[in-house]
Amino acid sequence: MAVCGVTVGILIGALPGIGPPSGVAMLLPLTFGMDPTSGIIMLAALYAGTMYGGTITAVLINTPGESASVVTCLDGYQMALKGEAGKALGIAAIGSFIAGTAGVVLLMLVSPALAKWSLSFGPPETFALMLLGLTTVTLLAGDDPLKGYISMMVGLMLAMVGYDIISGDARYGLGVPEMMDGIDFLPVAIGLFGLGEVLFGAEESSKAQMAKGKVGIREVLPRWVDFVRAKWSIFRGTVMGFAVGVLPGAGPTVASFLAYTVEKRVSKSPEEFGKGAIEGVAAPESANNAAATAAMVPMLTLGIPGSATTAIMLGGLMMWGLRPGPMLFEKNPQFVWGLIASQYIANVLLLIMSTLAIPLFVRALRIPYSILMPLIIVFCVTGAYSLKNSLFDVGSMLVFGVIGYLMKKLGYSPAALVLALVLGPLAERALRQSLIISDAGLGILFQRPISAVLTLAALLAVAVPVGRALLALSRRRAPVGQ
Amino acid sequence: MRNTDRITAALLLACAVAFSAGALKYYKWWGAAGPGPAFMPFWLGLFMGFLALGFLFKSLKQKHPGDDWLPRGEGLRHMLVVLGASVAFVVLLKVTGMILGTALFLVGLVRYLGRHGWWVCVTVAAGAAGFNWLVFAHWLRVPLPVGPLGF
Repeated sequence: MAVCGVTVGILIGALPGIGPPSGVAMLLPLTFGMDPTSGIIMLAALYAGTMYGGTITAVLINTPGESASVVTCLDGYQMALKGEAGKALGIAAIGSFIAGTAGVVLLMLVSPALAKWSLSFGPPETFALMLLGLTTVTLLAGDDPLKGYISMMVGLMLAMVGYDIISGDARYGLGVPEMMDGIDFLPVAIGLFGLGEVLFGAEESSKAQMAKGKVGIREVLPRWVDFVRAKWSIFRGTVMGFAVGVLPGAGPTVASFLAYTVEKRVSKSPEEFGKGAIEGVAAPESANNAAATAAMVPMLTLGIPGSATTAIMLGGLMMWGLRPGPMLFEKNPQFVWGLIASQYIANVLLLIMSTLAIPLFVRALRIPYSILMPLIIVFCVTGAYSLKNSLFDVGSMLVFGVIGYLMKKLGYSPAALVLALVLGPLAERALRQSLIISDAGLGILFQRPISAVLTLAALLAVAVPVGRALLALSRRRAPVGQ
Repeated sequence: MRNTDRITAALLLACAVAFSAGALKYYKWWGAAGPGPAFMPFWLGLFMGFLALGFLFKSLKQKHPGDDWLPRGEGLRHMLVVLGASVAFVVLLKVTGMILGTALFLVGLVRYLGRHGWWVCVTVAAGAAGFNWLVFAHWLRVPLPVGPLGF
């Protein structure tokens, strides 16, 4: 399972235009026939694979396969231009391996304790935590926080469609029987990330012909000197990646940007950054892998996904009938530990395959977009259909594909929408249960210390962009008044 | 982009109002034990209304018309052909069946987009349709839509 996941993952990650969320969304239907443990092992390996696959395109053709590899382009592509593509890919593979393995160890140490602690969480704490997850994802998702929040609200509103979990009333069904069960997140995710990306790519591909990747990497294994030079970058990247990834909402992308910035600050020769510094590849690549692993901590222990990809995985867990959250560790230990063990294996496999099989993966880059795009669409359609054998789901996948394309063009955040759609019903239940046990209305969120801190943090996440916008507005007005 | 933002904001505002009003009209606000099914949708609609108003205000104040976001020329044509072909593929699924539909869709679109030779198109189509059948119909036992030829 893990071998399969890693191979497909690297391939998917290497294909520009399909990132981890699309890959996981499209392959989720394939795991329906498996037991949950094998299914999640494959998805987790796939996730790890895509994180590395994105690096290959970032280095070779200056096109990040996914957003967490955007920073890698800066120095990775420069190294490739200097004929050091192999070195860049090699150090990225080793950094990813070290960071990923360290991440799994930390995941193993942190998760049980966190799960135990969160057992004391009642509905107010759960709601406050979800609020924090939603607001931070939205804040970090795109350039315009307002559009991020709008995307999140659309997701939450869509989550209201279907049977009410407490009273059993059917809401917003519009008389369509298929909508009474609610809007499934999978057709939405496949549409937004899969088809939406393809439509976007269809338009772009006619503009620019993709650069040809340089094949024939002879020295993928970096020399010992390079490793020594980059060892602290890898260490710093790993630590920062894990710390950022554990926070609900902040995923691998933020971690990689942060690691790059810090690396440039502490470097003795910051002027080399952007011109092919090996540290500029090692640090963000380590950080994004550590963060990808760390993002599983809040998903497994609290039931709050840390990124769009983990949101889709969380949806998968729920479809298999598992309830992510503190009880998962007690009720399904074989599942959790199976997942953790598979992460170790996935990391080793990743290292082997990324050093030995790189030329093979590079060849995948040569598949023309004109063949790739139709194939992705076919996979989106079959995947959406096989969820419930329903053509209605295929139709909604198409609709959300168009919405995803428009969202991408107009600067909205599909990730915030999907996260809100997954968390919406859970957040509603937690909020209503809180209000049932409360004698002070919403005040209950501030009466208990943990929920008070989390709620305040969530409000802060909303207040920061609003405050910044108001400040900008008043500054613009000031000269007029003077 | 500015005009699009204005239209989007107005549409979102209308949706938000309808969402909240619908919640109050059709569902119970408060149940026996606590908040009813109308509670959360009402507040969501209200928040969305505020966001949309803020967005509308922002876009109305914006002086610069912003970048053009709609693709033109070949980009637009490619996008529309891919979208149109996908819609046709899905609409015709009941008639053609999944496997035959997949093959026809791939032959047509690969040929149009890449101007590849027929043998490339047919190989890709046959390979993908075979893969689909093997994985979904054969292994996962998904009852895929069946066409006139029985697959």
